[in-house]
This record gives sequence, C-alpha cells and structure tokens, in this order.
Amino acid sequence: MRAGYATRLSRIAPYVFMAPAVLIMAGALLWPLAHSVWLSFHEWKLGTPQDAAVFTGLENYRILLGDPDTLTSLRVTLVFAFTVVTLEVALGVGLAILLERPIRGMNALRSIFIMPMMIAPIVVGLLWRYMYNEQFGPLAQLLLLFGVEESPPWLSSPDWALASVIIADVWQWTPFIFILALAALQSVPTSVVEAARMDGAQARQTVFYVKLPLILPVVIVAALLRLIDAFKVLEVIFIMTEGGPGLSTEILSMRIYKTAFEFQQLGRASALSNLLLLLVAAISVGLVLFNKLRERANESG
Amino acid sequence: MKAGEHRAAGSVYYVFLAGMALLCLAPVVLMVVTSLKVRTQIFSDTLTFFFIPTVSHYAEAFGDAALTRTLGNSMAVALFATALTMAAGCMAAYALARFSFFGRGVVSGATLLMRMVPPAVLVAPIFMLWTYQFGISDTLSGLVLAYTALNLPFVIWILQSFFAQTPPQLEEAARLDGANPFQTFFFVILPIVAPGMAAAAIFAFRIAWNEFILALVLTNRFTRTIPVEISLSISEHNIAWGKVMAVGTLIAIPPLIFTFIASRHIVKGLTAGAVKG
Amino acid sequence: MIHEKIAAGAVLAALALLPSAAAANPYQAYSGTTLVVSFPNHPHYDAVDRVLPEFTRETGIKVEVDKLQYTKMRDKQLLEMAKPRGDYDLVAYVVFSKTDFVAKDLIEPLAPYFLNPALADPDYDPGDLIDVYVENAGLVGGKKGYLPGPTAGLYGVPFGAETSVLAYRRDIFEKHNLQVPTTYDALLDVACRIPELEPGMGGLASRSQSGHQIIHAWLLHLAPLGGRIFDDHWNPIFNQAPGVQAAETLKQILACGPKGGAGQGFGGMKELFLQGKTAMFLDSTVVSGEVDDPNKSRIVGKVGWALHPTGIRRGSQTGGFGIAIPRNSQNKEAAFLLMQWLTSKAVDKKIALAGGSPNRKSTFADPAMQRQFPHFAVFGEALKYADADWRPLLPVWVGELKGMIGPRLSESIVGDAPIQATLDELARRTRQVMEREGFYTYQ
Repeated sequence: MRAGYATRLSRIAPYVFMAPAVLIMAGALLWPLAHSVWLSFHEWKLGTPQDAAVFTGLENYRILLGDPDTLTSLRVTLVFAFTVVTLEVALGVGLAILLERPIRGMNALRSIFIMPMMIAPIVVGLLWRYMYNEQFGPLAQLLLLFGVEESPPWLSSPDWALASVIIADVWQWTPFIFILALAALQSVPTSVVEAARMDGAQARQTVFYVKLPLILPVVIVAALLRLIDAFKVLEVIFIMTEGGPGLSTEILSMRIYKTAFEFQQLGRASALSNLLLLLVAAISVGLVLFNKLRERANESG
Repeated sequence: MKAGEHRAAGSVYYVFLAGMALLCLAPVVLMVVTSLKVRTQIFSDTLTFFFIPTVSHYAEAFGDAALTRTLGNSMAVALFATALTMAAGCMAAYALARFSFFGRGVVSGATLLMRMVPPAVLVAPIFMLWTYQFGISDTLSGLVLAYTALNLPFVIWILQSFFAQTPPQLEEAARLDGANPFQTFFFVILPIVAPGMAAAAIFAFRIAWNEFILALVLTNRFTRTIPVEISLSISEHNIAWGKVMAVGTLIAIPPLIFTFIASRHIVKGLTAGAVKG
Repeated sequence: MIHEKIAAGAVLAALALLPSAAAANPYQAYSGTTLVVSFPNHPHYDAVDRVLPEFTRETGIKVEVDKLQYTKMRDKQLLEMAKPRGDYDLVAYVVFSKTDFVAKDLIEPLAPYFLNPALADPDYDPGDLIDVYVENAGLVGGKKGYLPGPTAGLYGVPFGAETSVLAYRRDIFEKHNLQVPTTYDALLDVACRIPELEPGMGGLASRSQSGHQIIHAWLLHLAPLGGRIFDDHWNPIFNQAPGVQAAETLKQILACGPKGGAGQGFGGMKELFLQGKTAMFLDSTVVSGEVDDPNKSRIVGKVGWALHPTGIRRGSQTGGFGIAIPRNSQNKEAAFLLMQWLTSKAVDKKIALAGGSPNRKSTFADPAMQRQFPHFAVFGEALKYADADWRPLLPVWVGELKGMIGPRLSESIVGDAPIQATLDELARRTRQVMEREGFYTYQ
C-alpha cells in the first residue's frame, strides 16, 4: 500500500519543523554541557592550549567538595535564591490582592511595572551600585535629608552586602509576580466570589479561602520560574560586589566565573558548573513533583 | 458600604499604586538624570533637584568610536539572534503543540530542562568549543548562535501555549482545501499567533541585547557588545558616572521602547508561559 | 610656578628635536600597520594616551588602544593569548602576571629583538632603565623564579612601574605641628590623631576592597613589619607575628580613616586623598601625576613626600606594570618598535611630563625634571629601598591563592573575624594548594 504524497508530507512535517531548533540546541547547548562534563575530569588552566588539559579523574570534585569556600558559596546561593523568591512572591501577591479591582490607567502603570525587568541586568547592577554609593549616592543623600549623616555600609560591609543585593533583585522582579498574580485574580470568575459572598463570607475570608486557592497554581509556577531565574543571576552581583566583601555575596555563578578566570582553573570551573546544574535541576524537579502530588491530593481529596 | 468610604478606599488604592510606580521608576529616572548632570553635580554630597542638563556625556559616548561600534554590534547580534530564534522556535513549538511524533516527549522534556541552565555554566565549555572546535569565537555569528540556543527553550515554551490555543478546525479546513502542513503553518496558523510571537520576540531580543557573561568571553575588541563595553569601562580609578549612566540609558532604551508599545503582549507572554507551565 | 612652566617648555622643546634623528628607517617597513595594544585604565596610561599620537606621526604605524579596567584586563588577555591567533600585539600587565605569562609560554623573550640590528636602537641604553623595575617587571627565571639572578631572562620592559611613598598634607602637618612619620608606630599615632585634630578628615587612605585590593594593602605593611608570605622553601609563614601585626595595622588605619573609606579600591583611595578627605596617602608613586592637576585634585601645592615608614626594616613595594609582546601577535616586530619607542629616554620624559611614572634614571636625574617635580628626589631615595620580594610573583599566587586569601582577609579586617585564627586557617589551606601544585617535591 502506498501512502499518498500528502500523508507522507504530514508524516515528515513534525521532523522538519523540529529540525532547526533541535540542531541548534544540540550543537550549542547540549554539546557544551557534555563538554563541560568532559572538562570537569581534567585539569586545564586558562591561557594554555586545549591539548594541555590533563586527565585527573574526580580530583576537581574532590577539591571543590573539600573547600569550605564552595560550601559558603552554596549557602549564599541558596539564601539569595530562596529569600528573593519568598519576598517577591509575598510582596507581589500581597499587592495584587490589595489592588485587585478595575484600575483606570492600568496600561500606563503596567508599562512602568514591567520596566525594571526589561532593563539589562548589567544596568540594574550599575544603577544600584550608584544608588548605594556611600558618598554621593541617592540613598545616602535621601538619608541625609532625614538627618542621617552616616550612610549604612550598603555594599562595603559583609553584613549588609547580601541584603543590599537582594533588595536590588526584589526591586527588579516583584512587579513580575504582581502582574501575574493580578492577571490571575482578574480571571477568577465573579460568580465564584459572588457565591461565596451569598454564603455570608467576609471580604477577608473570600480572599483567603476563595481567591488565593484559585490563583495558587499560577503563583506556584511563577515562583518556580523566579527560582530558576534566581539561580541564573550573575551580572547584577558581578557589577555591584563581585561576590564580596569577603564571600558574603559569592553566589555559585560568581564563583564559577572566578574559578575559571581568576583562579584560571577551567576544569574545576566546569566541575562546579555541573554541581550547580545538578542543584538547580534537583530543586526544580523536586518542586514540580511536589506540586504534581499536591494537585493530585487536592483532586482526590 | 457607604459611597464615601468606598471613595476613600479608592484613593488609598491609587496612593498605593502611585507609590509602587514611583519605586519602580525612581532608580531609572535617577539614572537618566545623572547622565544629564556635570561631574561636580554628580559628586556633590547633597541632592540637586534643579540643574541645567548637559548632553556632554552623550556627546562623549557617541564621539567614542569604540562605543558606537559596540552599539552596532549589539544591535546586529540581537536582531539576528531574535530572527533566528523566532524562525526555529515557531516551527518547533508548532510541531510540539500539534503533532505526535517519535521523540516528542524527550524533546519537550529536554527543552524544559534546558530552560534552567544558568549562563555561567556555559562559559567555560562554550569558550573552548567556539575557539578550538568551531573556530567562531570573536565573531558576531558565534554570539548569534549562542544566544539563539540560549533563547530557544524559553521561546518554544511560550509559543507552544499560543499554538495550543488556536482552534484545530482551522487546520482541518486548510487540509480539506488541499493545503499541505507547511502551507497550513505559514499561511493559516502563523498569522493567528502573531501577537504571541511579538511577545516571544521581545523576550528573545531582551536576552540577546542584555546578555553579558558569554559576550565577555566570546568577543574581542571589534565584536564586543555594549554590556561588555560598559562593564570593562567601569575602571577602578575614577568611575565616570556621567558617561556610565549615559551608556546605561542607551542600553535601556530599546527594551523600554518595546515595553511601552507592547506591554499588553508582554504580559500575555508572561501569563501564557506561567499558566501553561 | 611660572619658572616651572618655562622649564617644562624648555624640556619639551629639547625633546621634540631628539627623536627625529632616529625616526628615519627602522619604521619604514611597518608604516601603515595597525598595532592593537591592551592597556589598563590607569593614570600612567592616561598620560601615554597623550603621547601616542606622536608615535603614529613619526613612524606611520597606527596604534589602537584597548583600555580595560586593570583587574579585568588580565582575564581578557589570557583569553586572547590562548587563541591560535590573538588580537593583541602589545600587552601591559601588572608585574605579578609575568611568571604566569612566561610559564604558559604566552609572551616573547625579548633577547632576539634586542639582537636584531634592524629593530634595536643603539641609543636605547637599557642600563638607564631603573634596575629594580626591570628586575621586577621584566626578568623571569632567576631566584625563586621571579627574582633577578644569573639564570633570568628578559620578557618585558617596565612601563608604568612604581614603588610606594608616603604623601602627606604639608598644610595640615604644619598647622598642627605634626612630625612626618618615619616609623610605623609614628604613622599609626599620627593617622589616629588627625581625625581628632581635623574633624571630618581621615588619617590615612587605604585600599580595602575585598580581593586583590585588600591583599595589596596588607602586603604593603607586611614586608616593612618583617614578614613574608613564604619562607625560602615555600612554607607559608604569613600567619606568624608580622602577618597578624600587618593585619591589625591595616585594621587600625581603616578605623582612623576617612568616612566611607571602607571597601575602596586603588581608585577610591586615591580619590579620597585628592579630594582632601584624608591627610596621608601611603601607596603607589603614580598619585604624584595627579595631585597637582587642578582638574583632578583639590590639594594642589599642598602635598609633601616622604619615604615609606620603617617597621622592622625599610621596604617600599615594587609594582605597577610592564609591557610584553604576545606569542600569538601578528605584528611582533612593529610591536617591539612601539615598546622601544615608549620606553626610550625621550618619550619617558614626555610621559612623565604628561603625568605618568618615569621608568628611567635619566628622567629622575634630569635637572629640569627635578625642578618641575621636586618629589623626584624622594622617589629616587625610595627606590633604593624597593623590596622586590614583598610579594611572591608566582602563577599560583596570582591565581588561586589570592582568590582564596583575599575574601577571608577582608572578613577579618573589614569584618570581625578573628585575625590569628583566619590567618592560621589560610596558611593551612595555602599549604594544601602549594602541595597540589608540586612545591614540596624536594621536601
């Protein structure tokens, strides 16, 4: 039996459609990732030719895991990622609930809210480094207006720097959560809210028992997206603190960069990259699975 | 609830909203304002609200041949990378949304996983491959390739939900009219998802235009992009804040233009991604 | 003031006549070539910018300068020099990179160029280059690998090299009848009295930014206080008494320093002094190019100069930059010609007049220059005590060890981590790294 021309076309169609994207991702994402695994078993110093790489087995991983700085960096990364996401979700969702109603001029406001996240991270870093400048930065000047003569050591003290960097990220990304949560709230059918009110629910009760559960799936996905992105942060910290003072803002991405270009250990940097990748994958997959289980439990319960 | 109370609550809402808008806006406005101040005003210890703006920092930026070159490079890389991403991404997203084929699950899962790869992870291996295997380091096409790959997972993921929302009857009708799958895709489906494509393209452009760390290692003096140029120019001695802020403003302009003409599409892109994730 | 201007004019006029005689032939073959040079963003190289157009006029060789932040410059150079064909024809490097570049075979030995009669200028007079600068910036392969000795070879030429001096506000010192400190005890005493005598002014500006900068500041005091990083067999000894004392000294200097002075790098520290926020500056000589420039400085004519104070021994730092030719340059001969021109007697003076750091004895000895820059006498004296071994110029030090020590040092000096315990732990980990790198093979 001969398949018709059209049938054959539609059989190969998906492969033709997929081919360019798959080729590009395989060549420029998968291959580098595989290469990174290969590299992580070698000692290769920056500035030497590729064939100078020496196979050292698991040595890079052994060095990294025995290095207290790696663990510090891991801790900073986790604190940074989970703090920014928690703050952004709490603030974003909170504000969305407060402000949920048809708003006049929302188009203009929406553009303003999106603005911070469209700006290049490198510029965000510069902007906040300027804001935090202890001599002539706008924050120092603002505090001076209120009679505070000595600016807090925003970026120069190991106790403050991480918080300062977190503030910058929260500034940039809270609007993202806010917009998503607002859109989700506005798509909650009014009939549901009306029904709750008919049943005698107070305004606060409708928020917590009716609206929040309905928008929860969107919030969870948004939070997950933010979490993934929080592990990708590098530029803002690169510009603001370079990981310092001390190791107080040394997130793993920054550490990878330093291991590769400052310590000049490309193999070890690749090993650290793989560890970071594993961490992100484990956390993401874990959260997705948890979410799936939760949904299933909700459905059956 | 009395009308008066309602109005009072309403004005509280607006005060809140205005406060939020101000918080989002203030640092950006400060950047622009600083770029218009002369040096002594910038380094002043107190706030200056009124001053005669100067465009000297912009004149300096545009008078710098290296800087205008990097602006051109950034534009070229961002546009080509966006075009390539959209071409490959649309087709792939359509295939994933509409066809069942061998390997679909694997590709779809892998795409999702690759979305979470931090760019820092790719720095060492991409530098090595681009330099020694592909011979495309220091070229703009090398950057275009890297950005396209980096953007594809995200773009495919956003677009998939847009394609999924188009009614299947359209394809059925096109098929009955004798169109093959490719004609259907290009002439029937693509025009419908154009708004979604706009959103995805803005995101792709944003990444390619803003990206820094890969550009830092993959470019040389001739192919450097603007985020790299600005980071390398923040010298230890004498940060020229006026010029840095002027260049920062220049970098921010293209994404901000998109924000203001297409904020609705951007939000649609964001929500589509989040809801269908 | 007017006298100085006239003197400077005379020097310039005399200099303008000199190079034309030598400009005739060696450059002809390379006329029209474009050289790409990698220079740091640094006061000396700002001065070089003003002189470079003359090179193009004289030789027809064009020069494109890629100016980068100096701590980022090295990463970029390494990436570039690791490629089969590089972008750079001449690179400036902080002196501590010399061994790294040579160990990785990234830069050219200079002997063949000085041997080539078509390139080498017979009037170059290498003996006139300041010895300790040549040793520190250019020689590799002597004692310990980075110190001079019979086995060393020349890989770079000092350009923007420096030592450390104490700059102080003459007006403030006179006003309060203060003695210029010659010892570390006196230095700390004066540094902490100034904030009381002059409210709002700090005693001594210092670098303290996490990483390279704070290590530099610590080392600056470590050597005069009698310490070293390693003993002669690469055993880390920086956790002994002088190391702790150097850290405590630095901590006290910061405590008596200017408001907002913590976390500054070289530029921030220099700015604090130039803006009149501190009474003293103890670091690179390069600051002298800017103190009397009214566009950059608020302390024109108010600065006096003295030697780096003595602790247990007198020892000023040796640092700054050298220039070298990358192996993968496509224009090595022309690059050598530029290197030779930049470091020639005539151009050395021109760069000094434009605000750069001199690298030649003849510039320091020139009476017209001495009249223009009275501090040259002090600088010449400081060079006698320049300590070439104040930091180990090893690849492993520049890369991994500094990266490991810098942040932790910052935690104990800017932060509150206990100094002795931190240094002990760092010494232990330094030993591990040195072991891994094979430094104890002979033990």
